[in-house]
Order: sequence, then C-alpha cells, then structure tokens
Amino acid sequence: MDYPKTKRYFSFLLTVFFLSLFSISSANAQDGEALFNANCKSCHAVKEKVIGPALMGISKRRNEEWLLKWIKNSQAVVKSGDEYAVKLFNEYNKVAMTSFNLKDAEIKSILAYVKAEEVKIPATPPQPPPGSAPVDQKPIWPWLLAAAVVLYLLSGVLRRVQETLAKAVRHKEGIPEPTPVSNKKRNREWIRQNKKLIAIILIFLTIVGSVKGWYSLMAIGISQGYTPDQPIAYSHKLHAGEMQISCIYCHSGAERGKVAGVPSANVCMNCHKYVRKGPETGTAEIAKIYKALDYDPDKGTYGPNQKPIQWVRVHNLPDFAYFNHSQHFVVGKIACQTCHGQVQDSMTVAMQYSPLTMRWCIDCHRVTNVKMAGNGYYDDLHKKLLNKGLSDSLITVETIGGLECARCHY
Amino acid sequence: MEKKYWKGVDELHNDAEFVRLKNNEFFEHIPIEDVISKKTEEGLTPRRDFLKFLGFSVAAASLAACETPVRKTIPYLIRPEQITPGIANYYASTYADGYDYASIVVKTREGRPIKIEGNTLSTISKGKVNARVQASVLSLYDNARLRGPVMNNNMADWTAVDKAITDKLSTIAAAGGKIRILSSTVISPTTLKVISDFTAKYPTTKHIQHDSVSCAAMIQANKDSFGVEGIPSYRFNKANVIVGFDCDFLLNWISPIECAAQYAETRKLNNGRKEMSRHYQFESALSVTGSNADIRTGIKPSQQLSYIIALHNAIASKAGMKSAGSASVSAPVIEKLAAELWANRGKALVVCGINSLPAQKIVNGINSMLDSYGNTIDLDNLCNLRKGSDADLVALTDEMQINEVAALLIFNCNPVYSLPHGEIFAKGIKKTELSVSFADRADETASLCGFICPDHHPLESWSDAEPKKGFYSLGQPTIAPLFNTRQMQESLLSWAGNKTPFHDYMEANWKNISSDVSWGKLLQDGVYEKPISESSQKHTSSADLSLISDDSKNSGSFELVVYEKAGLGNGMQANNPWLQELPDPISKITWDNYLAVSPRDAREKGWKQGNIVNLKTPSGSLKAPVLIQPGQTPGTVSIALGYGRTAAGKTADYIGVNANVLVGLFNNSMRAYSSPVEITKTIDEDYQFAATQSHHTMMGRAIVKETTLKKYIKEPNSGNEPELIEVKVGKNISKQPVEKVTLWDEHEIGNHHWGMSIDLNSCIGCGACVVACTAENNVPVVGKDEVMRSREMHWMRIDRYYTSDFDPKEGEAGDIKKMEDPSDMPKVVFQPVMCQHCNHAPCETVCPVIATSHSSEGLNQMVYNRCVGTRYCANNCPYKVRRFNWFRYSDNPKFDFNINNDLGKMVLNPDVVVRSRGVMEKCTMCVQRLQEGKLNAKKAGRTVKEGEVNTACAQTCPTNAITFGDYNLSESALNKMWKPEERSYHLLGELNVQPNVFYQTKVRNIEEEKEA
Repeated sequence: MDYPKTKRYFSFLLTVFFLSLFSISSANAQDGEALFNANCKSCHAVKEKVIGPALMGISKRRNEEWLLKWIKNSQAVVKSGDEYAVKLFNEYNKVAMTSFNLKDAEIKSILAYVKAEEVKIPATPPQPPPGSAPVDQKPIWPWLLAAAVVLYLLSGVLRRVQETLAKAVRHKEGIPEPTPVSNKKRNREWIRQNKKLIAIILIFLTIVGSVKGWYSLMAIGISQGYTPDQPIAYSHKLHAGEMQISCIYCHSGAERGKVAGVPSANVCMNCHKYVRKGPETGTAEIAKIYKALDYDPDKGTYGPNQKPIQWVRVHNLPDFAYFNHSQHFVVGKIACQTCHGQVQDSMTVAMQYSPLTMRWCIDCHRVTNVKMAGNGYYDDLHKKLLNKGLSDSLITVETIGGLECARCHY
Repeated sequence: MEKKYWKGVDELHNDAEFVRLKNNEFFEHIPIEDVISKKTEEGLTPRRDFLKFLGFSVAAASLAACETPVRKTIPYLIRPEQITPGIANYYASTYADGYDYASIVVKTREGRPIKIEGNTLSTISKGKVNARVQASVLSLYDNARLRGPVMNNNMADWTAVDKAITDKLSTIAAAGGKIRILSSTVISPTTLKVISDFTAKYPTTKHIQHDSVSCAAMIQANKDSFGVEGIPSYRFNKANVIVGFDCDFLLNWISPIECAAQYAETRKLNNGRKEMSRHYQFESALSVTGSNADIRTGIKPSQQLSYIIALHNAIASKAGMKSAGSASVSAPVIEKLAAELWANRGKALVVCGINSLPAQKIVNGINSMLDSYGNTIDLDNLCNLRKGSDADLVALTDEMQINEVAALLIFNCNPVYSLPHGEIFAKGIKKTELSVSFADRADETASLCGFICPDHHPLESWSDAEPKKGFYSLGQPTIAPLFNTRQMQESLLSWAGNKTPFHDYMEANWKNISSDVSWGKLLQDGVYEKPISESSQKHTSSADLSLISDDSKNSGSFELVVYEKAGLGNGMQANNPWLQELPDPISKITWDNYLAVSPRDAREKGWKQGNIVNLKTPSGSLKAPVLIQPGQTPGTVSIALGYGRTAAGKTADYIGVNANVLVGLFNNSMRAYSSPVEITKTIDEDYQFAATQSHHTMMGRAIVKETTLKKYIKEPNSGNEPELIEVKVGKNISKQPVEKVTLWDEHEIGNHHWGMSIDLNSCIGCGACVVACTAENNVPVVGKDEVMRSREMHWMRIDRYYTSDFDPKEGEAGDIKKMEDPSDMPKVVFQPVMCQHCNHAPCETVCPVIATSHSSEGLNQMVYNRCVGTRYCANNCPYKVRRFNWFRYSDNPKFDFNINNDLGKMVLNPDVVVRSRGVMEKCTMCVQRLQEGKLNAKKAGRTVKEGEVNTACAQTCPTNAITFGDYNLSESALNKMWKPEERSYHLLGELNVQPNVFYQTKVRNIEEEKEA
C-alpha cells in the first residue's frame, strides 16, 4: 500500500507546482473550460485525436496570430495557401473545421485552458467516501455451519457429562441402574405421548407445503426478475438516469410499431464516437462496441470484420401473444416505466420488472382508462358511450373490447 | 323446378365406398385392440404398469417445467434507415417468368419478402395477381435452388465459369459457329438490349423465343389477315357477346389476370345494373372459362374448325360477305349465336385458343365482319406476351441434330421437359460444343448442360417488362441474393465484355424509354405507362378464307386435349407446395394430374375412377389414372400439363405424368390436342386421388342460389326469395322470416363491424384467393396423403357444384337417386367458403374451454393457446370451415414441404402465429391486418378509411368478387352490397346463424333454364 500512496502525494505536489506556475492564466482557463466544452469538445480533445487533431502543444506548434485566424475561419487560411493549413486540411480528409465567431480574448482563454489541461495528470480513481467501512462480500453460511457443528458437539459432550454425573449420583446413593431402553422404543414412547402435537405439526406442514407448492408451480414459465448477464455491461441507470437520455432515443421502435427494439450499434456510436472512456469499466465496455463494428477510434474508420452483438433477450413473450409497443406508448400514452419499472433509477443490468402474465395484462386493461379525448379514431365511440351514461373515468380498455381474445391472440 | 347439386360423381352414384366413408366418422381402422391389452379388457390395470405410467408422467412434467432456454436478440450493427423491426416495407416490382406476368408490390419484413400483392397503379393487372404469381414468393425459398454456378456437374466459382464460357464463345464466334439463345417470350426491353449487345459481340448469335404453350398460329394469322405480326390487346369489358373456342382466357390464355378483370366488369350486376354480357364457350374439356360460360357447347378438337367455319359462314351470309370453305356441321346454336353476334356488331368478341393457322384466320375474319377491331380488339397496341415461334424452335431442333449449333444458351424454358420430343432435344444439347442453362435448379434441361449459371429469382433481380406496347413495369430486388447466383442479364453482359452492373445498365437504358420521369420515381411506382390512347382503328381481314375448309377426319377414336391447371400452369413452378396443394378449380383434386373422361365414355368402356389406362398418340405414350369428369365432351379425353417433372425438386418430382409427350406437331404448330389416341385399360387398379371436396356434404339444399337475367330484371330477388318459417305463438300459427326467430341475444357492436360480401356472379373459381390466404396466414401444406384423409388446412375453399336438371313431376318426390341423375354436360357454380363469422355462432356454444368466442367487431375469434382440441366446434359448424392441426406441421420431418426447414420458414408472416399440434384453426378475417389498420388510424387520430384495410383474399381477387368492409360505415362498399341488393343472402340462411359474410345470387344470362 505504500507505493500508490507515495504516487498520490507526488501527483498532488506536481499539481500544486504546476498550478502555481500557471496561476495567472488559471482564471482565464476557467472561462476557457466552459468555452471549450461548448464549442470545441465535439471534435477535439487535448490528448487524443477525435475528429480533429489532439490539441496538446498547440501553442508550441503554431503562433497565436495564426491560431486566431484559423479558429475564426479555417477555410480562409486554407485558401490563402498557407502550407501548414493545407497539409492539415488534407490530412483530416478535407473536413473543414467550423468557423467560430469568438472574440480574441475568448479564444485566448480556450488556449489557456488547453495549456493548463496539458499538464494535468489523469484523475485518480474515485475514493470511497470517508467513513464507509469496506463491505465484506464473503458469504456468512460457512460460519453458521461451523457454529452449528460446534454447538452439536458441545451438546453431545454436555449430555455425556450429565449422564456420567447422574450415574455417579446413583452409584453414590446406591440406586440400581435402570434397564437400558433402546432409542427406538424411547422415540415411540414419545410419539405416543404427543399425538396431538404431531397431528398439528403435520397439518401445518401440509398446508404450508401445498401453498408453497402451488405458488412455485404457478411461477413456472414466469420470469419476473429475470436479469441475465449481458455481453456488454450496459447500465440503464447511467444512460437513462444520470445522462437523462430518453428511452425512445435508443428504443425508437416503441413509437412506431410492435417491437421497441434493441438499438443497433450505430445508435451507440452517435455518442460513443466521442465518449470513449468511462470512469470504471466503461472504457472496456465501450471497446466492445468498437470491436463489434471493427471500429478504430484513433483513425475513425470502420473495418470489414464486423460482428453483431448478441444480447440476451430479457422480455420473452410467447409467440401466441401479440403485443404492440406503439399501441400502448403512442395511443395509450402509457409510460415505459409502468411495465418496465424505474429503469433509470435502479437498473444497472436490464431486468424483467413485470410478470408478463396474461393476468397482469388483463388486470391493467380492466382499470386503465382509454385516452379518447382528442383522438379522432374514438370520436363516434366516445359519443356513443357517453350517451349510454358512462363517464370518461368509467371507460376502460375493457369497455371497448380490450379483453377480447383476438386483440392479442392471432 | 328445383335444381339439384351434387358434389361429385362418387355421391351421384352412391358408390359403396362413398357410402361407407360418409357413414363412418373414422373411416380408417383405429387399432384400439392393440392399445388395450388383454389384461385391461378383463378390467385389471396392473399395478406395475400404473407405476410406470406415473413415473413417466412425473418425469415428463418435470422436464417440461425446466427453465426456458436463453434466447438471444441480435440487433443490426448498422440499421438500414428504412427498416424498423416489426414494420413491413413494400416495394413495387414485377413478376414475369415468361409465362405469367403481373405488376406486383412485395411485402417484406426485416428484409425478407413474405407476400406478393398487386400493384394498383398498373392498368393491366390492376392490383391483382393470380395463384401462381401469389405463390412465387415461396419459390424464392425453394431448397432445390442451386447454391452457385455449376461447371460439368461440379460446383464452380463465377470467375472460372466466366473464363471457360468466354473462351469457348470466342473460339466459336471466330470459327463462325452458330450461337443460339433459347428462351420463352422476353417482354423486358432491357433484356432484349442485353441480347442485342451480346449478338453484337458474337455476331453468329440468334435469339429464339418459344413458349411451352404457344400462340404462334395466331401471330401468323394476324400477319396473313391484316399484315400485323403480333397479338392484339383484347377489351372483354366492351363486349356484350363473348365467344370462346377452346380458349381458357380467364385462367391461362395470353394475359389471364387482365382478361378476367375485364370479363368480370361485364358480369357485375351491382348498383342497379341490369345488363350483363352473354358468354358462349365451345370446348372439349371443362375449363374454368367454360364453367363460367352462360352457354357451353362440348365439341371435339376435330370439330373445332368446322364450328368456326360454320359460324363464319352464318355471319358472312348476313353481312353479304364471301363465305369460307364448307363446314360439315350445322348446329342450331351456331345459327342463334350468329344472329346474336350480328345484332351486337362492334360489341362482340370471338376468341380462339387453338394453335392452328386456319382456325385463327377464320376467327380473324369473323371479328373483322363484326367490327370488333377498334372496338373490342386493339390491333394497334400489340401485346408482347406469348410471342414465341414454333417454327423457329423446330428449325433449331433440326439444326442441333445435324451438329450445326455450336453454342446453346437457355433461359426461362425447359425444352427437354416441355417439348413433345424432349429426348431429341436432349440429344441435340449433347451435340453442342457449349451448352449453358440459366435455370435456378438442375432441371431436366439444365442437368444436361455443361454449364448452369443460375439466375436470381425474380424477387432478387432488377427487371423491367413491357407486356403491352407503351405499358412498362419495373422490378427491383426485394432481398439480397440468397445464394451465389447471378442475374442472367449480368452473365450475358459480362461474357460480352461489359462489366457494368445490370442495375446501372438498366438505368441507362431507361433514359431512352422515359426521359420525363426520374429513376427513383419509376422504381417507386413500379409502372410507367405512356399516354397511349386506345385505338379505334378498324382492320379488315384481307386473307382469302375460301380455300379453308374443314379437313378434319373423324377417326371415331378418342381425341386428346391437353390443358393447364390453375395451380401448376406449364409446370415451371411445379416444386412449389402451395401450388401443388391448390385444388384444381373443376375436379378439386390436389397433387395430381389424370386423364379426364366423360361419364358416358366411362359407362360405355367400363372405366372406373382410379383405373390406370395406357394412352398412345402418334407422338408418345404414357400411363395415367382415369377421372370421370362431367362436362368432358364425349369422345374426348383431357390431361393437364405441368406434372410429371423429374428434376424439379422433391416436392414436384414424379407427381403426376408429363403430358407434353402426347402433344403433336402439325404444320410447325405445337397443338394442344392429338387425334387419334388409343386408350387401353391396364390392370383394374384403384388409384386414389386426393380431392378436397368429397368431404363437404351440402347436397340437396339451396346453397348456391341462382337465377336467370330475364327473371332477375323482372324480379330482383328471384332465386333469393325470403325464407319463411312456421311460428306458433299460443294458438296462432304464422309464417315469419327466419331472422325473426331466434333464441339468442344480440351482440353489442363496437367501433367496427367487419363483414364480407361474395358475388357469385363474378367469382370465376380461379383459386388466387386460396393461395393468398395460405401466404398471409401461414397455412401449412399437408401433402397428398393427408388431403386424402380430408385433413387439408386451407382456411378457405372454393366449392364447386355441378347441376343436374330434374323435374320432380317425372319422378317421385324425395326420390334422391332420381334427383341425382347426372347430366353429362352440367352447369357449374363456384362458391368460396371461409369462416362466415356468425353472430350466432354454433361453434362458440359448444366449446368447453371458450377457446372460440365472439368479438365486439363481428369476428368469430379462435384462440389457439386456449384450445384443447375437442373438435366439438368443427362438428357443430354448419359450414365445415374449421381445420384441425393433426400434427405439428412446422417441425415434423414427415411434412417436408416448406415450413419445416429454415429456408422455407422465411416465408412465414411474423404477425400470425404458427399453430401447434392439437388445436383448431380457421379464417380470422385477417385480424392481424384489421388490428394494424386500426392502430395506424389511432396513431394518426382519425377513423379507419374505407378500403384502408382489406383481407388477403379480397385484395388479390382478379374479378373483385370478394368485397371486405365495415358495416358501421354507412357509405362503405359493403353496405351498398348488402341492404339495397336483392341478390344478397346468407349461406344456409334457414339456420339463422346470422353470418357476417354474405353471398350474392348467381345470375345466368340465358333465356330459359333448359337452354344449352
């Protein structure tokens, strides 16, 4: 444990040292960070090539005057025939850099920020919050087992001790030894004396057994809580929760048709072309997307050896049940969470939240009101039902035939 | 006078076998004794057996309860923009295989074509397709297709094949050797250009077109009569009187989808129309067209010419024109017909399907006298279909025999199978230096060729077609090629040294055809029609007909006619199980061809159904089973083409016999008949046919209601008088309409009330709907053996009833045997029957587990996962439309047709569940389409528009006989059909089960019942 500690101290000292060196520009650099994130980040990083080149050492490579011109209008510089600019333009597949209408001071603060970032040491992994004890993940049952064995042995020893003592007392007081009774006989005797207790226990066990058995039989084929391991440790909690990405962004089919759909890898790449690293396991997991697409993040090119990602299906409806996402999401205006749970809050691994049984479907159809108002499809029916004396709160999916067989089975 | 229907010869004769089957529910021996051992008979169940069973059940139950296997879900890596999983994409395309043509729209799911629908933008096929085009999507997933090119019977790669072929072609061309391309009629302008490019590179090339069912004589006749070499466009819809001479124009003739639609227009009586065309048919075998005719006359092939001449001369005498040679017949029907035709000049049409030059020339003369040209026939906008030349083929065969053909390239035809002397052609192939076939499988011809360069399936290809002058249709691939095949055009181009992909080549060529429409728009529409006005140009026949006279010698022996069936056609798609299982519209037999003989001849010769006979014609001989076919002209026999394939694949091989060997060649015309034919009975064998109709007994009741036009005009509800029932309330006895008497409560109807109308006057019985239903609803194919056990699974059937006139006064009332007296030439009616979706459904009340119930939208619902297979519902259904899954057809090696292999499964519709063993199924009125249509409307916040949803059968029906709609929409076509139409009736209305499907009376345009 010594070595990392020294390293941490060392890095701290280094940071302090450099920060003091750039203390003048650091105020600038704070503005620069905001500007960098707003304008540059989608194409540039300090230490890596993204779409544009890595910006490390940019102040050394080019002078400030050139940089100001370039950032304001790169194409003008290219057209002016500047040798470096033309070379750069060609090197990056003739993708023109966007022109930015920024003030000189703003650009300078961005450059200051880049300079400050150059020397920053990569962030240390997050520490556990102070005071939290390390959690022992080891299972507790071996201890319990050992304790049980010890207790059993102890009780045996104690019984022997008691027997020996009783024998000694009898011997001392001259009481004759009782005839030895076999264990079998003793047990039988005990049973004869406790018939009622045994009957009660048996009845109790039968009842508990049947109830348990019934429920376990009923659970056959129901996979509520099914949380299979996935090829990529994708976290809904991170993406939908912390990052606030809409469900529909990835599961776009839910809006359009029957299948919500597992997003294709190109949807992942919309973000992960830029987001290439994660704090913990992210880097390795994101690399799996790249591998599937045979994508080279440094060159930004796709190779020929692409291999689809084989996710494990979490929600498995039987073939004879037809379920259409868009009917529920678009027409019924049912939130995803109603059936899939608070995915954004709790699911680091996708889990089947609902039982997906027919009873579960039907129970919901019995109580869910139909959103008829404003939907031209229901106009006539709505009027007809209101004329019959029903109120909107009484018109459920069941009222309009939502329990009929051929709505789901065909 | 009551008309009696009987459903087959078996029933008519009350064969002992038929009676036995009718009376036994289980006509097979059920080996109960084997199952129940002696001990159980004594009432003892051995304890050990009981324990064994118990142990087995526990083991089975625990096995079944095991964890379901982990299922993967594999999304696209990069999803194509237009594909959303779960949503169908539709692409306009073209199906043209040299035999059938249709502009189509292909439904694809996740990139695989699953259904073919018609392209409504086409004015030729008008959004309709026939059974064969409908089934072609299954041919795409045929396991018999070649996986890649074949060189000298070994699999090879394209580079090696290309090099070998190019080398040979160059050597042959340099030496001046003859190169011949043989194909069926090519209607693709770009393909013709490819061939001309190929010819430019190899100048000794000649392209020969030949159709297995030929119209060559007609082309020659038009040249002789009018100087126009080609096939005209017909306008059946403008004719009041239609006459057909051995011409099955509704099913197989030049452009059947187009003709059937036009014909049906003249037969519709809806919306107050009180007139319809009158159709005369003269033919030998009972064809689908003939069975729809008002007046049908049975003639022998040897009488054809004399009937045509007689008709010509009768009209000529009225027109004051020169008559043709002498005719040996004088039939009253000819005089009557001539008068009618003459009265309807300009509104008459005579068509002739006989491939004989004199007959065609005289028919041209008749049409010319009747002013048909410019009215019902358009000789200026020629049809490009069936342009093959028999003479060219004969010349080619001769050249091949004398070693003159150095290279032979064959596509879209199979001459070794389809020519009368296929074996001679086969020898000729062996004599060529280079033989290349583009067939998709190693068929009878291709397997003899040195090279097989398999062509894509039409659904994998770029294509275009010009079925009629100025009417274009484009085809685009709807799936990436499944195998290592290559489009024929691309092969030809690459051998000609042009490495352009065919798509680019076609696009470039289209710049010449249409400069005004963009390529993207062309592909999206799938059709491009130049603004061509129908020609009203008159043409007068200039041919001298006086020398043509009836030269037929009636030998007195039998005469043979060959014909094509609705399913197999010329046999190109024989390996398609959907088509094999489609019942013949007339005989209702599946999986077979047979020798149809007339009942009279059968009686005289002592032939029985199923006897095997030897047939011998001057061309060849074969053995075939006998079928007694009412309507067959006495003295003639007929047999279907398309069967007896030997190298088409395991579905088709050795099913039926190849009748092509019997066809004769007369004056370089391939003729569909042969005279004389010797027939000798072999052994008294009992061959079993797999017919679908003997099982559905509805005899003796007014199932198909019909009337005559005259009566209909006088009394619109003639033939459809309301059913009255005697009702006794207290002491009052009154007669009430059946609908008033019911024990049932009315159902509450929701937002929709779906229903269907079937116009029996326009249904021609073609069977396109049956195949469409099969494709849409994942209906399994069960095979001949199961059909023989009456276990076919088709959700809809087309019942065919023969009529027999019987006057009850002559016999005793109720004497059913006398009522069954056959007429050798019966009239025929067709009636499509699917689940009638009764509001008071008898099936629903008997289901012990409520697996079938009624919906608030008027549907009778069937829940497969609830069904326990008691079959009570099927027993209680008066229409016998329920089908039971005796096996799990989808994964049973015994049903090796399409849905038990991975390739064939690709055709399944993912929105319809594949039914398991032991459950009942039936027509759902395409509920998956209704649900989809409703959902689309809900999402858009509007009502479901009229015509927005349609069932598969109604959508494909070439004659629009089936109309689907919503009773709740007051302006729907369905409502217009139902209430105001006095022809509308419910099938078996006396039962008052209140179906949501109704029929409309058939009306015959005849003067009297006894006519014809």
